[in-house]
Amino acid sequence: MSSRSRIALVVGALAIVACEVPDHPNKASSQPVSTFSIGPQPGPDRALAVAVNPYHGDKSVVADGRRWFNYYNCSGCHGDHAGGGMGPSLRDSTWFYGGEEHSIFASISEGRQYGMPAWGTKIPPDQIWRIVTYIKTLRTPDEPDPPR
Amino acid sequence: MPCVASLGSMQRVQLICAAVVVASSWSCKPEPSRSTGSMSASVGTAPQVSNGEVDSSADDGQWVRPAKDFASTRFSGLTEINATNVKNLRPIATFSTGALRGHESAPLVVGSTMYVITPYPNVVYALDLTKPGLPAKWSYNPKPALASQGVACCDVVNRGLVFDAGKLFFNTLDNRTIALDANSGKPVWETQVGDINLGETMTMAPLVAHGVVLIGDSGGEMGVRGWLKGLDENSGKVLWTAYHTGPDKDVLIGAAFRPFYPQDQGKDLGVSSWPPDAWKIGGGTMWGWISYDPQQDLIFYGTANPGPWNHEVRPGDNKWTSTLFARKPTTGEAVWAYQLSPHDIHDYDGINEQILVDLPIGGQTRKVLIRPERNGYVYVMDRTNGQVLSAEPYGFVNASAGVDLKTGRLKYNPEKEPKLGKVVREICPAAPGMKDWQPSAYSPRTGMLYIPHQNLCMDEESLSANYIAGTPYVGMNVKMYPGPGGNRGELEAWNPQTGKQVWAVKEDLPVWSGAVATAGDLVFYGTMDGWFKAIDGRTCAPLWKFKVASGIVGNPIAYKGPDGKEYIAIYAGIGGWLGAMAFPDVSLDDPYTALGGAGAVPDIKSKTTMGGILYVFSL
Repeated sequence: MSSRSRIALVVGALAIVACEVPDHPNKASSQPVSTFSIGPQPGPDRALAVAVNPYHGDKSVVADGRRWFNYYNCSGCHGDHAGGGMGPSLRDSTWFYGGEEHSIFASISEGRQYGMPAWGTKIPPDQIWRIVTYIKTLRTPDEPDPPR
Repeated sequence: MPCVASLGSMQRVQLICAAVVVASSWSCKPEPSRSTGSMSASVGTAPQVSNGEVDSSADDGQWVRPAKDFASTRFSGLTEINATNVKNLRPIATFSTGALRGHESAPLVVGSTMYVITPYPNVVYALDLTKPGLPAKWSYNPKPALASQGVACCDVVNRGLVFDAGKLFFNTLDNRTIALDANSGKPVWETQVGDINLGETMTMAPLVAHGVVLIGDSGGEMGVRGWLKGLDENSGKVLWTAYHTGPDKDVLIGAAFRPFYPQDQGKDLGVSSWPPDAWKIGGGTMWGWISYDPQQDLIFYGTANPGPWNHEVRPGDNKWTSTLFARKPTTGEAVWAYQLSPHDIHDYDGINEQILVDLPIGGQTRKVLIRPERNGYVYVMDRTNGQVLSAEPYGFVNASAGVDLKTGRLKYNPEKEPKLGKVVREICPAAPGMKDWQPSAYSPRTGMLYIPHQNLCMDEESLSANYIAGTPYVGMNVKMYPGPGGNRGELEAWNPQTGKQVWAVKEDLPVWSGAVATAGDLVFYGTMDGWFKAIDGRTCAPLWKFKVASGIVGNPIAYKGPDGKEYIAIYAGIGGWLGAMAFPDVSLDDPYTALGGAGAVPDIKSKTTMGGILYVFSL
């Protein structure tokens, strides 16, 4: 696959994602949609539209998220309990590309330049949100199957 | 010897340590009856031996390939630094590489220039040995793809450069082999040989034999189909590719193929010893060391583990993974093969070094190949035909019960076989093996092989593995901990003639550096907490040590400078599979992290920090 067609696929996947994500309540009509800010936002108005996790805080999907985390081999790089290895730890407090739920979603969907694959072509958005919900439970009392 | 019981909460480990305290742990005692013999290392540029004395004038003082000579002895004939004066060794120059990850390579010395390569981004530096402080003459940055870092299983290491006919050859993490003009640092050619989207990376040091640059791939944990390629050293053209799975025509098995044992004889075993199509994603990569015997015109090297680690999905011998090959360098044609670990079940890659020497065995001099293998045995093999002459354990092994010398077959212990959904405990050695890639040194003066290695055991639980190209394909939970005795590593002196340990210097942490032996009868190696050490190669007496800036996983060398003096050089720079546990982006609250690496060295973060620095020492 050429890099151009790869980009086209990713962009296509993102467009789908944007459709399925509920609008942020603060979203102003003049602002672009589906903006995942990783870096700082310049200027006075910092209320960029962000995607919202439909399962935010929903403990009922956490075990399912862990299942997808293993199924898609996230555990292969980030560790069985996301402690790191080939990829960085997701258990610690360091987030290279933002630790907010929408940022984690974007990292999974779009990939990151140091080797994180762009899973938006492979994992449906609903499953990505479940994985995100699981990741947010790491090192909390809600973490399913914590390391022993 | 400190007991490391505090490392694990398991009662088992505490019991092991208690046993050790009783048994007195320090075993660095020379064996009075050891034989120094008159064996000769007659291959390549290995020094000529006469009555056990090495003529240092026969050693040109350079270090032009990773293992010094084609025979891979990592033995220097230099004698200036010896047991009497090594206490005066001091650093004369240091050089920061600007890279932070694991520095697993050896510097090269060609004429009056030293060449080093960093882990990703694989920058090559030429240092001027004629000037104080060893200033850089040039550097070359191949700018590997950023994303290649995410595909490397076990840190973004590089195991070194090789020099031949005016050029330097090396591999980049994103699968390019590059030739540089050694004088100018300008690229002569560059060949793309692999694809990160398939999970391939490259970390090994090439060897040049007969004008052919020999290279292999990494990615056995990513469902990669492994290979070795031969490239024309002048043009970079791929002359041949020998896959390590699949039909004979892909493996370059033809009319000349004469394996010694029936287990390795038959047509297209690389297909029939797998479930349908599993060989296409079956591993058998080649990220370790190659030796060359110019007299036979044969190269020797081994292949890595089969994939996935969950062995229940790949019934059969899984040829030609964990297999030793003898091939013709110009055509790649296989001459013999021997599968060290058929149907490997514990990640026992077969990529370790092989040392080519001639040894008196059973009253006659045999052309042998010595391999301290990951599965826990030192193999002494007839390198003319692939016969195993002996295979003795060099540490505690319970995963198997030796090698059947009649059939050549490894005798697995069925009790230690991993099962889906069941935790199998106390498997020894652990997945990195009794010894991983870190190379041994052999001294023809003492007749001893100096083996840096681990002492780790593990619990394993098979999981279902889902093949997604470019992502891990493993299917195993691994938890590692110290083996019997509690020390996690040692530098062991081994007599390949008797198949017995002579002595061992125990180390708390795994010894993940290579070793070098010199005609001054010294052995140098480093520890993961950053001590660079010299010991007496005959008595194992500790003679000198120096604390470097970061843990050592590099390979030391000895060379003669333009001023005629002897120098010792080593990389500091923690990393590699276990060393990566020192990195800040790894959490250690889960012992299963990094395929069990976190459980093996949970204390490493408190004992060293990242940083790549070259150290050069002299009297």
